[in-house]
Amino acid sequence: MNLRNHPEALFLAAVLAAWLLIVGLILHDDAGKRDAALAGVEAGNRTRIVFWHAMGGPLGVVMDDLIGRFNKQQDRYFVKSVGMGSYDTLDKKILASIVAHSAPDISQNYETLTKKLIKARKIVCLDDLLASETEDIKADIIPVLLRNNTFDGRLWSFPFNKSVPVLYYNKDLLREAGLDPAAPPTTLDELASISRHLTRFFADGKGSTGRPVIGFGTGKGNIWMFLCRVLQYGGTIVDEVEKKAFFADPPAQKALAVILDMVKEGIAVEGQGFDHQNDFKAQRVAMIENSIVSKVFMEAGIKFDFGVAPLPGAATHAVILSGTNINIFDNGDPDKIQGAWEFVKWFTSTEIGAEWSVRTTYLPVRRSSLNSEYVREAMKRDPNIAPPYVQLDYSYFEPRLTCWFEIRDLMADTLEEASIEKGPPEKYLVPMNEAIERILRHATD
Amino acid sequence: MVHGKKIDFGAYGYLLPVVFIILCFQVIPIFYSLAISFYEWDLMSDPNWVGAENFRRLADDPMFYKSLVNTLYYAIFSVPLSILSALCVAMLLNNPIAGMGIYRTIYFLPVITSLNAVSIVWNFIYHPEYGLLNKVLAIFHIAPRLWLQDPLCIMPFLAGLAGVGWPDWLPAGPSMAMLSIIVMSVWKGLGYNVIIFLAGLQNIPKHLYEAATIDGASRWQQFRHITWPLLSPTTFFVFTMSCIGSFQVFSQIYMMTPRGGPMKSTMVIVFYLYQKAFVKFEFGYALAIAFVLFVMVFAMTLFNKLYLEKKVHYS
Repeated sequence: MNLRNHPEALFLAAVLAAWLLIVGLILHDDAGKRDAALAGVEAGNRTRIVFWHAMGGPLGVVMDDLIGRFNKQQDRYFVKSVGMGSYDTLDKKILASIVAHSAPDISQNYETLTKKLIKARKIVCLDDLLASETEDIKADIIPVLLRNNTFDGRLWSFPFNKSVPVLYYNKDLLREAGLDPAAPPTTLDELASISRHLTRFFADGKGSTGRPVIGFGTGKGNIWMFLCRVLQYGGTIVDEVEKKAFFADPPAQKALAVILDMVKEGIAVEGQGFDHQNDFKAQRVAMIENSIVSKVFMEAGIKFDFGVAPLPGAATHAVILSGTNINIFDNGDPDKIQGAWEFVKWFTSTEIGAEWSVRTTYLPVRRSSLNSEYVREAMKRDPNIAPPYVQLDYSYFEPRLTCWFEIRDLMADTLEEASIEKGPPEKYLVPMNEAIERILRHATD
Repeated sequence: MVHGKKIDFGAYGYLLPVVFIILCFQVIPIFYSLAISFYEWDLMSDPNWVGAENFRRLADDPMFYKSLVNTLYYAIFSVPLSILSALCVAMLLNNPIAGMGIYRTIYFLPVITSLNAVSIVWNFIYHPEYGLLNKVLAIFHIAPRLWLQDPLCIMPFLAGLAGVGWPDWLPAGPSMAMLSIIVMSVWKGLGYNVIIFLAGLQNIPKHLYEAATIDGASRWQQFRHITWPLLSPTTFFVFTMSCIGSFQVFSQIYMMTPRGGPMKSTMVIVFYLYQKAFVKFEFGYALAIAFVLFVMVFAMTLFNKLYLEKKVHYS
């Protein structure tokens, strides 16, 4: 067939050719991007272990530094760190990767996702890997972290970046207001009285700041702090077996009332997102509660003498852990699983775990790290890194129910409503408790 | 395609790439989504057949209704506001004045800017403490507002300004947070609608205005009896597209009120769908919401086509 006599066919052939060319270019570009993503330090013939995480900013810098050191001293494995931005994005990518049968070898995950991954048989049980170790690693893991990662008696994830909330306080402002900067509040009653004193002292811009200072700042409708306070007042969060919640009980009501009362009195403020952190840096509030990890992000911008103290308690002291754990995926390649395990062991070893903890403020995974010379020396240099370690004795974790994020969402709405309206706690907590029990009754695990 | 009994395979060949793309990325996913809406599925485990359970749950889900009402508020406020503002700007830009190209470019710039970037900028504008808007209001001694954090609804707010109460049984309108997002969205989409209206305005023959001027018609009469009727096909197009777009609003909600706004007052239907699918991993339920949304948008477009289009002057 002479194509010159069939211009339509010629045009069609050209369109098809152009189409195939575009598809080819896209495939080539994808391959290039994939190679670029996996580039970096030469992996050589080593087995490549892909690690998906959500560590950004200064924390990501520390992690990449440590991963680089692992890669330099390894001749069998090479860990490729792939940042996913946020935990939210990481969760979604993990799910998508599982559907596409291209899961990473290791990733950070919350406990609820770990439970789903166990059920879907996508991750490796770490007890099987620990069985071949000569060292009793499990005995060295800090007990609350071990419990947090144990599901039905078996260790399915490894603690990685766990943190606790602390109290940050401005020593200069305390000093100026005639308070002892070495004696921050240890109870919620003291927190209220010191906040009252500070707010009154700095009212109308009387102090050196030249503007009013509010005693205490926290996040609006902060679930994490609310749950800590429920435990501090001697309460319970949920009974996973009996499918009961305890938010209508007096401890939860006190936990909500204590901050609302302070806000109503004008001695505390609730901010959106990181507003209270910025207010603390700008000396608009004298004390805030926040994760210890905020110290890494805040301290470069703080121009005054500040202290870190354990979170003030009530009937008892209690804090709730935050942060993620590590899962090793079962991608069907024993060499990759072994490589992933070698990396997890190295990263959480006594020396590296201690360094990770000191440089990031995350809790050490092992008792030997906590008691190491490295941590002791660091505490001497900077006493502000000690309070999280002190709180390990009374650290707990949130329920690991698969419906927990749904419950958290409901709690966030309720606490926000309470924060806006500032009505009596039972008005919000009684219906919230009923709604949570309804979710618990319908939840399968 | 058929000349007598001969089939022109070339024509089918031309269609092939587009048909392939539409099939892969639209038709098959639509039917696949519909099928999955009858399952319980978290992506990791095998889908579990639940029949119409997801749709039954939807009928009893107060958050679904709240998201529906919020979406309607968004549509009711944003669509007329978009059309009116775009028409006004287009009429201004239709005049032969110096530097018109620059003005048109300026109005179109937000359209080509990423919605995420625009949302971040407007987050700063609306910031209660450092935001530009509150700083400007402060010049006029107007108290700062929590633009994106305020669940106060607009009708009780306006009634309060007028010194009267707003009855509880009447719809309270969108929240201040939703209204703030609506304003930003109208600004963002203004340039696109302006271009469409400009094209429509330039298609109106000049001699009609000349004749009307000779007959002594005022500017308003010219607009009422020439511009508005002859612009109706354009207005109909802009209205239909804006309605569809308003039911699909998501990015600015996600970027500016990541949890669905104060007391869920900016939780719109697509955001709720997203949360169910990608936060709670309830894909079956999310796809049931998607299917209901599809039916709603389809019905609305059909209504526009069958009823409103009758009022359009195509010549």
